[in-house]
Amino acid sequence: MFEKVLIANRGEIAVRIIRACKEMNIRTVAVYSKVDMDSMHVQMADEAICIGPGPSNDSYLRIDRIICAAEIADVDAIHPGYGFLSENAHFADICENCNIRFIGPNSRAMNALEDKAASRTLAKKAGVQTPPGSEGAVENEQEALAVAKQIGYPVMIKAIAGGGGRGMRAAHNDGSLVKGYHTARSEAEKAFGKSGVYIEKFIENSHHIEFQIFGDSKGNFIHLGERDCSVQRRNQKLVEETPSPVLETKFKDLRKKMGKAAVRIAEVAHYTNAGTVEFLVDEEGRYYFLEVNKRIQVEHPITEEVTGLDLVKMQIAIAMGEPLRVKQGDVHFKGHAIECRINAEDPFDDFRPCPGRVAMYYAPGGRGARVDSHVYAGYSIPPNYDSMIGKLIAHGRDRREAMDIMSRALSEYMITGITTTIAFEQAILQDPNFRRGTYSTNFLEQLLGGARRELLEENA
Amino acid sequence: MDLKDIKAIIDLMRKNNLSEFELERQEYKIKLKRGGGGVHPVSEESGYYPLAAITPVPPPLPAPSSVAAAAPANTAAAGPASLEIESPMIGTFYRAPSPESQSYVEVGSEVNPETIVCLIEAMKVMNEIKAEVKGVVTHILVENAKPVEFGQPLFRIRPS
Repeated sequence: MFEKVLIANRGEIAVRIIRACKEMNIRTVAVYSKVDMDSMHVQMADEAICIGPGPSNDSYLRIDRIICAAEIADVDAIHPGYGFLSENAHFADICENCNIRFIGPNSRAMNALEDKAASRTLAKKAGVQTPPGSEGAVENEQEALAVAKQIGYPVMIKAIAGGGGRGMRAAHNDGSLVKGYHTARSEAEKAFGKSGVYIEKFIENSHHIEFQIFGDSKGNFIHLGERDCSVQRRNQKLVEETPSPVLETKFKDLRKKMGKAAVRIAEVAHYTNAGTVEFLVDEEGRYYFLEVNKRIQVEHPITEEVTGLDLVKMQIAIAMGEPLRVKQGDVHFKGHAIECRINAEDPFDDFRPCPGRVAMYYAPGGRGARVDSHVYAGYSIPPNYDSMIGKLIAHGRDRREAMDIMSRALSEYMITGITTTIAFEQAILQDPNFRRGTYSTNFLEQLLGGARRELLEENA
Repeated sequence: MDLKDIKAIIDLMRKNNLSEFELERQEYKIKLKRGGGGVHPVSEESGYYPLAAITPVPPPLPAPSSVAAAAPANTAAAGPASLEIESPMIGTFYRAPSPESQSYVEVGSEVNPETIVCLIEAMKVMNEIKAEVKGVVTHILVENAKPVEFGQPLFRIRPS
């Protein structure tokens, strides 16, 4: 049983983890940067330790300072949240060496899935189809052109060390491929420290469907259904829902097959704790493995709402050495859930981030409306981190009711002093394609007025 | 268009609760916008009253001797021209190089930028902390062997 847990994160997910710990009677320790002094997670935790100035590189990414804080506060475990150090195998190793439990997958599984190339190899081993593409890193532009010729345009150039939708660009012909290849390599070097890129077929009009999986230390695995995250802008998710409308109507037999494939991948990787297996589904109902997210995800609440399970508590229980209490046959889904990520961005100014002071804040309530946010009236959003300020989750008995509740809750949500994406999400909820459930990953780009960004850049 | 006209337009906007006004003529173009950005509530009143903001002052560490939380008041009480040496890292604060040695500094000690004022131990590594200012130590703000966090005031110095 853990007595004390340190949360190596900030914002809404830190609040989420603290809530789970409190319900389990576990004392909480928050770490924070100087600019986060007034942040909600600092107020909620039992103890709080300042670990550096604003920039993440000097605070939330400082393994030494976080471990130091963990030792000073004498914690039993660290929950890394998402982003930051959550998928850093080196950090997980150090925790174990310092006798601190890392609430996440074991480092062996992390290394087996350490980058996208390794993950593709593992998927093949598990007998799961990946998008056609290069075997590993593409070493030069001749190789890139050869691969593209073999699999056919359009293709995606992806950074091997990338993740979270970053480090990807499309190419539609030889010219843009060569240009994109070199640009992608230097971007990858700058962003991820590794310049390796690989090439995959660009699956047009695809659906991004991911499966939540759990593994315990006794070798048990379950999946908790899928989440459809096709509503994305520049590969950043904005609206997620479960069940996936396309699996409910068009491809009814896929859920079982994909769920099995997701569990198979977890087995081959000897995975433990929470993870998400991402797939792309094309217009013909073929599914392809993309990658495994080795952490709790932003959109986990929609799975919680339809399954009635607390995923963060499950993470903590597994880290404490407990076996999974839920078997696959015990997993039932009730109703439909949708999540909207609320970002401090101006949708009318190319989603420019709008940090600043929140003057008035009124969050929606009522039946079926859940708000996971760290924001309050008077809070100043610092400019140093991402722009997500909260999540609004609607749960109804079916998709129609979930949409009604979401529209109602969005209209009730009042945030003044900064600009948010709330109005834009209201527009999404009213869009006919969204309402019919017949949208794919190009939905948002089309809604925003037309040509794919890559095509615009190519023609420039 | 002169100032009188602009004032008249502003008045009209206020009276009729308009937030934006734009007028383009051959010789000029004028655009007037009321209020800040964000979702506008029904009333166009500027000057929001922030709802009860949660008071900061997080419990730093179980270290009653740390006065980090009350820092602003202390700085004022310390008098004019008083500097604080803040911790550049997180760790355990030691006043002397070893348990048997004398403390690096006491109240009244003179320091210059290169003077080592304390050790902060992190992950079994001892880090010598330099004063980085010239002056006299007036207050020692942390007890020996107590944990300190990033930015926590360690010493108060009267600069010379």
